[in-house]
Amino acid sequence: MAVDNVGENEARQTLAPAVSAPSSNVARPRNKGGDVVLEIKDLTIDFVSVDGRVRILNGVSLMAKKGEVVGIVGESGSGKTTLGMAILGLLDSPPANIVSGSITFEGRDLLKLKSSEMEKIHGTGINMVFQEPLDSLNPVYTVETQIGEALKVQRKRQDPPVPQESEGETKKLITDLLRNLCIDKPEEVLERYPHELSGGMRQRVAISISTVEKPRLMISDEPTTGLDAYVQSRILGMFSAQRKAGETLLYITHDLTIASQICDRIYIMYAGRVMEAGETRGVLQEPLHPYTSTLVASVPQGYEDASPLSVQLGEPPDLRNLPSGCKFNPRCPHAKDVCKETEPKLDEISAERYAACWRVDKELGKFS
Amino acid sequence: MGNLVEIENLTVAFRSKRREGLFRSGPSLKALDDVSLTIGQNETFGLTGETGSGKSTLAKVLVGLYRPTSGTVRLLGREIDYKKRKDIAFLRQNVGIVFQDPVRSLNPSLTVKEVITEALIAAKSIPKKDYDERINFITKLVGVTKDLLPRRPRELSGGQRQRISLARALVVPKKLLVLDEPTSALDVSIQAQVLNTLKKLKSELDMSYLFITHDINVIKYVSHRLGVLFYGRLVEVGDTRTVDTEPKHPYTQSLISHVLTLRKVGLQETVISEHRPAPTGCRYRIVCPAAFEKCAEVPNWVNLGGDHLVSCFLYDHSSQKESRALIPAAAATGGDLRVPPHEHS
Repeated sequence: MAVDNVGENEARQTLAPAVSAPSSNVARPRNKGGDVVLEIKDLTIDFVSVDGRVRILNGVSLMAKKGEVVGIVGESGSGKTTLGMAILGLLDSPPANIVSGSITFEGRDLLKLKSSEMEKIHGTGINMVFQEPLDSLNPVYTVETQIGEALKVQRKRQDPPVPQESEGETKKLITDLLRNLCIDKPEEVLERYPHELSGGMRQRVAISISTVEKPRLMISDEPTTGLDAYVQSRILGMFSAQRKAGETLLYITHDLTIASQICDRIYIMYAGRVMEAGETRGVLQEPLHPYTSTLVASVPQGYEDASPLSVQLGEPPDLRNLPSGCKFNPRCPHAKDVCKETEPKLDEISAERYAACWRVDKELGKFS
Repeated sequence: MGNLVEIENLTVAFRSKRREGLFRSGPSLKALDDVSLTIGQNETFGLTGETGSGKSTLAKVLVGLYRPTSGTVRLLGREIDYKKRKDIAFLRQNVGIVFQDPVRSLNPSLTVKEVITEALIAAKSIPKKDYDERINFITKLVGVTKDLLPRRPRELSGGQRQRISLARALVVPKKLLVLDEPTSALDVSIQAQVLNTLKKLKSELDMSYLFITHDINVIKYVSHRLGVLFYGRLVEVGDTRTVDTEPKHPYTQSLISHVLTLRKVGLQETVISEHRPAPTGCRYRIVCPAAFEKCAEVPNWVNLGGDHLVSCFLYDHSSQKESRALIPAAAATGGDLRVPPHEHS
């Protein structure tokens, strides 16, 4: 075999079965009636500044069951990142002002917890991977130190506490972890600082810090935006391994193709509101809300001679200056008078399928 | 019809800043290695590859921001001498560029109108009295409304900024427009709008595109021909439809199979190992499932008919005794990157 590094190749051989496990889509842990891990009810958040009050989230309700991957899909300004930050309690107040609603995690309302109690949930309870890994990694510590730190916390918080490994054992654990993420020469990567890594590698290190803590709920905010298809596949592969382990994942993205790959259910957000929700396949194949249809139509299909993409003109909404009625109405090709006057509520159209649109007929269960 | 751009054996090397000794400079890194390609009149050539494959380096060579280390670039039949100012000016007269980041590529202190006017002033060939007419013409075409002209970039959305970059690049008519990841920073519905505009523009203004992106769905949708780069080397070139439906190079096969589409609903459970390029020979051979001894040499270009070129020994029957069956795409998905050694020995 004309491969110049034999040792490397052996490593890959021993690793291959562990990582690229048989693609048994059938045995996917669905547990539909599983326990509800996270439930957000009617969450409304304003940002207050000298210029006035801007409503970022307006009556958002969502729910995630154990072992589920829930997608939050929307374009810029839809409030999806604010939602993630609110769950973690990372919003600064001021400017953020939680007007109403509750965020229940494992039976406790996170909004009522003291910051010392919240701190204990961070990391092993709820964890978040941010879009820009450079911002979430510490620039003055090596990869090893940072993953090791997370590992220590995880060991300490177990009930009963697990004794800490020796330095050598920790190193071995971290090396194995990185190798499982298909990082070449993990021993060398361990010694490096975040700025010495490529974007995709950094993101994987950031994710491994999160996974090593084994959180019961993981929120990931656009972890693959701006990365190429390969790095994307690698990262998505990691997440799929995690959901196998029974973790609940909240996946924030604007990319429908990714959402269609890994999410069980998705929530489509626009201007701080949930426009449509339901099982991923159903929502993407038969969208009820015109906004969802626009998103689906925006994914380029076909070749150079294909017809133009059927998207409506218009920009993402300006939250300071929202239209009356349905917030999508200025861009909506199907808008009627009622859409401009009154805002529709999110209604259950069929089983586990919700939409906020006047043009969706509840009796027929479809767009009319 | 002749080719608009002909690039032959283009190599661009960057010297490492780290010196190995007082008098010895560090190793140099070839961002582009022996790349040859042509772009026809009115053609959209799509260039794709992963991060670090040299896509943007090629874009910058075409507008004269980087000098080639070796190789030639011909524009409209004229060979560009990168040391001559006149040639660089000729290049910039005919080639426009739009960058990925619409925030950093526009001067924050100028209004939209000033940004576009700057391009007219720099061109020198256009009389001042024609400025307004030109600006009106181009802004209408790219979809920038008049009320945006007195505003500054920070007051605009990403899609609007990218349209302004387009207007600036095209206010002086160009023969070639280089689009370096023009829609990667945009929201999906805005990306779709910009793609529609780009297609419309091309049919109205007589020009070619070099479209660079890592998003295969986008590149398939816009380009006539497709080139795939792997760590500075072009591995496959051909008609987009052919390359997409019948990719030949193992790397292209793997790349195409990893494209996420809406229809492919389901979980991808494979994790691909890190792509480490080989220092010599075929750069893909370290991870290639079909690599054999011959791959330690640089593969020749093989024409598979209909301008579909691939740089891989699997198809080079002249230098190979037994002809190997094509690798099924499934083997290249990264699930199993090993080929039993006895197969090649």
